[in-house]
Amino acid sequence: MNTLIFLRDAFAGRKLATAGFLWLCLIVLAAIIAPLVAPFDPLEIDPVGRLTEPGWPNLFGTDHFGRDTFSRAIYGARMTVIIGVGSVLVALFCGGLIGMISAYFTRLGHFLMRAVDVLMAFPALLMALVLITLLERSVVNTVLVIGIVYATTTARILFGMTLKLKGETFIDAAVCSGAGNSSILFRHILPNLLSPLLVQASFIFAFAQLQAAALDFLGLGLPPEVPSWGNMLSEERIYITRAPWLLIYPGMLIVVSVFSMNLVGDALRDSIDPRFKDDIAGV
Amino acid sequence: MALLEVENLEIAVSTQRNLLPVVQGVSFTVDENETLGIVGESGCGKSLTSLAIMGLLGTSPVRITGGSIHFDGMNLLALSERERRAIMGNRMAMIFQEPMTSLNPVYRIGDQIVENLRQHQNLSHAAARDRSVELLSLVRIPDPSERIDSFPHQMSGGQRQRVMIAMALSCDPKLLIADEPTTALDVTVQKEVLDLMADLQSRMGTAIVLISHDLGVIAETCDKVAVMYRGKIAEAASTADLFAELLHPYTRGLLNSIPVVDRDVEWLEAIPGRVPTLEETLTGCAFQPRCELATELCACEAPQTTQFKPGHSVQCHFAGQDRS
Repeated sequence: MNTLIFLRDAFAGRKLATAGFLWLCLIVLAAIIAPLVAPFDPLEIDPVGRLTEPGWPNLFGTDHFGRDTFSRAIYGARMTVIIGVGSVLVALFCGGLIGMISAYFTRLGHFLMRAVDVLMAFPALLMALVLITLLERSVVNTVLVIGIVYATTTARILFGMTLKLKGETFIDAAVCSGAGNSSILFRHILPNLLSPLLVQASFIFAFAQLQAAALDFLGLGLPPEVPSWGNMLSEERIYITRAPWLLIYPGMLIVVSVFSMNLVGDALRDSIDPRFKDDIAGV
Repeated sequence: MALLEVENLEIAVSTQRNLLPVVQGVSFTVDENETLGIVGESGCGKSLTSLAIMGLLGTSPVRITGGSIHFDGMNLLALSERERRAIMGNRMAMIFQEPMTSLNPVYRIGDQIVENLRQHQNLSHAAARDRSVELLSLVRIPDPSERIDSFPHQMSGGQRQRVMIAMALSCDPKLLIADEPTTALDVTVQKEVLDLMADLQSRMGTAIVLISHDLGVIAETCDKVAVMYRGKIAEAASTADLFAELLHPYTRGLLNSIPVVDRDVEWLEAIPGRVPTLEETLTGCAFQPRCELATELCACEAPQTTQFKPGHSVQCHFAGQDRS
C-alpha cells in the first residue's frame, strides 16, 4: 500500500515520466508472456521469405534469414529485462558491499576504495570489453561484466553515504546498546540507504541496456543466436540501405526504453530527495 | 566498592606529530542510587570521559592512554568485544545530547526498543513489545500502545528524548550515563525529563552520571558534583558542600556567570579569556591565565589535588581564598 502511494506521489503531474513507467511495464509484460504474444518462433528460419517489408503477417518485416523481426523484438524484451535486473543485482550487491564495508572498516576501506578508483579510471565500455574477452560470450557473463563495471560507481556512492551515517548519533546509540558490527551495518545503516539504492538501481538499469547493446553491436555481448535488440542491430547493419526497418525498430526500442528508464529514475530521485522537487516541472 | 570507579583516566588525541592530552588524571566514583554531576565549559573533556566509559572511543584518533575504569568490579578497558556488548545497553546505558538524531529514522520506535530488549533478554517478540508499551508509559508518553508504532519524525524532541530514556532503561541498567540530556530541549520539557530521571532513579536505584554545563540543573538533581576544567577535575564535592563553600576560583566564576532573573544588571559577570587550546603547553595551573588570584606560583607549578575538607577536594594553591 505504501509503495502504491509512493509511486503515485512520484509520478503525479509528470506526464512523460508516467508514460515512461507504463512503457517499462509493457516491456516487462512482453518479456514475461513473450511465447504467448509472439506470432512466430524468433529462431525459425524461412529462406523464401527473406527481407520482406513490414506488413501482414510479419508486422516488422523479416531479416536476412527470414526470421520474424516482431517476434525477435518481443523476445528481445526478455533479454532487456534479464540484462537490466541481473546487472542491477550484481552491481548493487558487489558495489554496495564494498562501499559499506570500506566506510565502516576504514583501514580495509583505504585499500578497497583505491582499487575501486583504479577500476573507475577505465572507460566503462573498455573495461567491459576487456572483461568479456577474458570470459566467453554468454548471457551470464554479459550480466556479470556489466554489473561489475557499475559496481564501482555504486561502491563510491554507498561509501560516502555510509561514512556520513556512521557518524550519526543513532549509530553511537546502537553501539552503546551492545549491537555488533554486522548488526550495525545491515540492520541500522543499510535500511537508511534503501532510497538512494533504488535510484541508483534505476540508472544502472538504463546504462546496462546501452552497454549491452554496444557490446552486442561489437559482437562481444550475447551469443549471436540470442534474440536481443543489440544483436538485431549488429547482424542487420549491412542491410541498412535495402531493409532499413530491420534497424529502425530495434534501434527505436533501445532509445525509447533507455529514455523511459532515465525518466523513471529522475522521478524516483526527485520524490526521494526533496531538494530536487519541482526542479524540472512536468517532465 | 563503588559501582563505577574511574581512576586516573587519561585520554589523548593523536595528531600527526604528537599526542595531545585532553583528559588528565580524572578520578571519581559513583555508588548505586547516587547521581554524579560533571560540569564544565565546552571542550573541557566531560563528554570524552563519558564516551570512554561507554567504550565509544574505539576507532577515533582519540584514545585512552592511561588509568582504569571499573564497573561493578570489572575492568571495562580489558573486556573483550563480546563481553563489552553484553554489558552495554543492558547493565549500563547512555542517553545522548541530541534527541533528534539518536533514533534510527527508518524504524518505528517500538521496534528499536524491542530490538534492545531482545538483544539482552530472552524475551519473545510479543513479550518484548508488551514491555516496550510499559516502558513508554513509564516515561509518560501518551497513548503508548498507539505511539509504539510511530516513526521518530512523528514525535517532538521531548518525546524522542523520553523514548531514548525508555530504551536506555529497558533492561534496568545499574548505571545510566546522560550526556547533556536536556541541552537540546526547552526549559519546561527539560524539567519534565529531569524529574522523570529522578523519579526512575528512586524507583530502580540506578546510578546516574549527569553531564551538563548548567550548574542549575546540577544543583537540583545531583548528589555529588565534579567541576572539570581543561581535562582535569578542578573541584569535587557533594552538592551541598560545593554550593556552601566554593573553593576553586573557576567554580565561583561559573556560578557568577549564571543570569539571575530578579537581579537587574547591565552586564553578566563572565570569566575573562578562554580555555587554552590543546596545543598551548602550560607549565603551571591551566586556569592561571584567567584567574584573578593568580600569582607566580600558579604560573610555575601545577596545583595538586588536595582534600580541603573530608569529601571536598580541589586543585588550587589558594583554595577558598578571596581577592582580598
